[in-house]
Amino acid sequence: MLLMFDDKHKNHLSFLLDIDIAVLQEFCKISLEFIKKGANPKVYQGAAQKLSVPAETVQNGVEGLMYLLTESSKLMISEIDFQDSILTLGFREDMQRELLALYLTHRREVRAILSEMAMDVPHYHNLEWRLDVQLASRALQRQITPIVTMKLQTKDGEDMMSHVLQTDPVNLVHLTKVLDEALQEIKSPYCRRIFRNIK
Amino acid sequence: MELSQLVLDGLILAGDAAHVNDKGFSVLVTRAFDGLIDDRHKNLIAKDPSFRGEDQAVVKEVYAALVTLVAEAAKHDLDTSSISSLLEECKFNNERIETFNKIYTAKKQLVQILLSGVGTTPRHIVDVDWRLDYYIKNNHLEKVNEAVYLVSLKTEVSESPGLKEVQFSCTQEQLQDLVGKLKDACKCLEKISQS
Repeated sequence: MLLMFDDKHKNHLSFLLDIDIAVLQEFCKISLEFIKKGANPKVYQGAAQKLSVPAETVQNGVEGLMYLLTESSKLMISEIDFQDSILTLGFREDMQRELLALYLTHRREVRAILSEMAMDVPHYHNLEWRLDVQLASRALQRQITPIVTMKLQTKDGEDMMSHVLQTDPVNLVHLTKVLDEALQEIKSPYCRRIFRNIK
Repeated sequence: MELSQLVLDGLILAGDAAHVNDKGFSVLVTRAFDGLIDDRHKNLIAKDPSFRGEDQAVVKEVYAALVTLVAEAAKHDLDTSSISSLLEECKFNNERIETFNKIYTAKKQLVQILLSGVGTTPRHIVDVDWRLDYYIKNNHLEKVNEAVYLVSLKTEVSESPGLKEVQFSCTQEQLQDLVGKLKDACKCLEKISQS
C-alpha cells in the first residue's frame, strides 16, 4: 500500500528538498518531538530566522513531516512501500535514507501515541478478593454464610474506578467456569483461522 | 430474645380459646408464615372468611403478634423447646404449641433465607456475559489487530429489583489474570470446605 500525497502536502514538503541533510535531521527531530509533546510555535520562529525563510514555511515543513510520519505509522506500511511512497516526492537519496530510518525507528512509538487517542471503554485493571463468613446481621443472627468479596478496578483512560462486589461460592465457581470458557474460545481453530486471515 | 408487652399481649390473646377458636388459630399461624415469606400474601388475612363476624381488632392484634414472633424466633434461630416454653408462658395449650412448632419447623429455613437478604450488602454477582471481538482498526490507527473481550457482570443490588451490570473490556492477558485470580479464590474455598 502506497501513501498518497495531495498537492498541498507535496508543496509543503518541497521546501525540505533543497536543505542540508543536517537541517533535515533537525526537522525530523522537531517533528517527532511535536508528535510526542504537542507543537511549540516558538521553535518555528527560531528556525525561520536561522534559515532566513518565513516562519510559515518552516511550520509547513515540520507539519508535513509530522503528517508523513503519523500517516505511515497509522497504516503501518512496509519498508518498501515507504520508500516507494517518498520516491515520488523528489527527496535526495541520503534524505530518503534519513526519512526511512526515522520511520522505522519511531513507528512503534508513534503508534503507541495514536492508540492513546483511540476511543476506549473501561478496561480491566486489577481484582482483589477476600473470603468472609458472615456470622450475623441485624435481621438474622447465627448464620454461616460464606461470601467472596471482590474489589474490581477498571480504568477508563486515566480514570481508575473501583467496584466492590460480592458473590457466593456457587456463583463464584460459575463465574470462573464461564470466563475460563471465554479464554479457551480464543484458542479454538475457528478464532485462529479468523485471526490469521485478517491482515 | 425479648418481646415487647404489646406482642406478649397479642400472643396471650392467640392462646385464649375464648377469643380465637382452634381453626382460626391454625389459619392465623399459617397466614403469619405465608405473609412473611411472600409479600403478595401479606394482607390475605383481611379477606379470610374464617374471621367473618369475629372482632377484627383482635384478629389484627393476634396476627401482628404472631408475625413478630415468627420473625424474631427465626432471627434468633430458636429451637422448638424454647418456643414451647415461651408459648406456655403465654398460656397456650399443648395442642396449639404443637401446631405452631410444626409449621415453624417446616418454614423456619425459608424465613431465614428471606431474613438473610435483608440489609445492605455490596452488589452480588449472579451471572456473567462475555463477548470476544477482534479489534481491527480505529480512526487513528490501522492494523490494530488484537483480541478484545467485553465482560458484563450481572449483579443483584440488595433490596432493589432487577439486575445491574458492571461492564468492562479486557485483553487476553488481562482476562487470564482475572480468571487466574478467580481460580485461586475457588481453590481457597474448596480447601476450606474440605477441612
